[in-house]
Amino acid sequence: MTVSPRTDRAGAKPGDRTLRGVFSDVEAYYSARVAKHGATPLGVDWSCWATQNLRFVQLLKLCDFSGPFALNDIGCGYGALAAYLAMRHATTAIDYLGVDLSQAMVRRARRRFSGSGRRFVVATSSPRVADYSVASGVMNVSLGHPREVWEDFVATILREMRRASRRGFSVNFINADIDTAHDLADGLYRTTAQRWIDFCEGELGCSVETIDGYGMREFTLLIRCNEPAAI
Amino acid sequence: MGDYIKDSTTSDILVQLNKRFDAEHLPEMVALQKEFKVFSAKHTLRQSFALLGIVPTDASEREGWFYFLDQLHKYKSDLPNVTGHDRWVKVIQKNLESATPRPVATAAHAAADDLGLKVTQGKPLVFSSDEHIIVSVPTTPKGQVKPRGAKTKK
Repeated sequence: MTVSPRTDRAGAKPGDRTLRGVFSDVEAYYSARVAKHGATPLGVDWSCWATQNLRFVQLLKLCDFSGPFALNDIGCGYGALAAYLAMRHATTAIDYLGVDLSQAMVRRARRRFSGSGRRFVVATSSPRVADYSVASGVMNVSLGHPREVWEDFVATILREMRRASRRGFSVNFINADIDTAHDLADGLYRTTAQRWIDFCEGELGCSVETIDGYGMREFTLLIRCNEPAAI
Repeated sequence: MGDYIKDSTTSDILVQLNKRFDAEHLPEMVALQKEFKVFSAKHTLRQSFALLGIVPTDASEREGWFYFLDQLHKYKSDLPNVTGHDRWVKVIQKNLESATPRPVATAAHAAADDLGLKVTQGKPLVFSSDEHIIVSVPTTPKGQVKPRGAKTKK
């Protein structure tokens, strides 16, 4: 299969003001969070270090740690995944690239974690193709956008992750019991696994494994690319 | 608690503890314990609660909360030769690693009545039929604790 070439903003069509507005809102929201809470789990909207890292455990089940690989961290925030990798997978050589919309986040990430094999960039999508891409919590806070607009944003992110991944990518979502038009009243996007399995298999030509039952009201999708991305 | 943190902070902490260990959140705690061994002899309560984000909402109270947790090393418990600190760690660890973990309710009692940390079982919530493990922490009201670092007269 082929994947669309990269466009100006994470796959957004030129002139797509709605999607640009979503990216802008997301950037403003997380910049405000990190300004208020600093480089802490609360600064990226997670309740604590432990739950944040339990999500990393699930997302990284995609990766083969027996050899070196390159990893894109989409929505990297202040670089918590880089710290986690150093703590738990120090023996594997990982070429890590953190990508975030927020300059404030990336500034903190660089200050704390930049080093050999660890870089951070401000961007809406990864500027490179890596073996794997992961995104934790990027799809959850919908900031009052209508469901169809938010799902367009999610689809855009997933297409871009597919484009930027040779072997696969993984993401997590808040679980909804049934895939109905949730009113997003609390500002959170909930969905079913099937909604995005269908998208990843049908549109992106990938195979998908669902991880759940890890004690949280969410699920993780491990999405494996059946063919290399066409660059 | 008591003299180490404000009364409002004690309420804040008890609410957090009772929420994170209630029946609804128990699967999350079990998963965290399985993956990270949050509660074990390798971690102090200060470390465990910090990892779980169970800290005063008022940031200026955090050192007082951690100081109190450290002080539990000097407290007795309802088990001989086990400190209040270690008793709390072990009961949570054992519960979360058991085949049938239970929700944990945290309460406070007057240190004047019993100086030790106590663990019992029961149904402390009138609106719930869930059997809980109940950890009760001795506390002394403000003004009745000697200042930090003060020496006892011999």
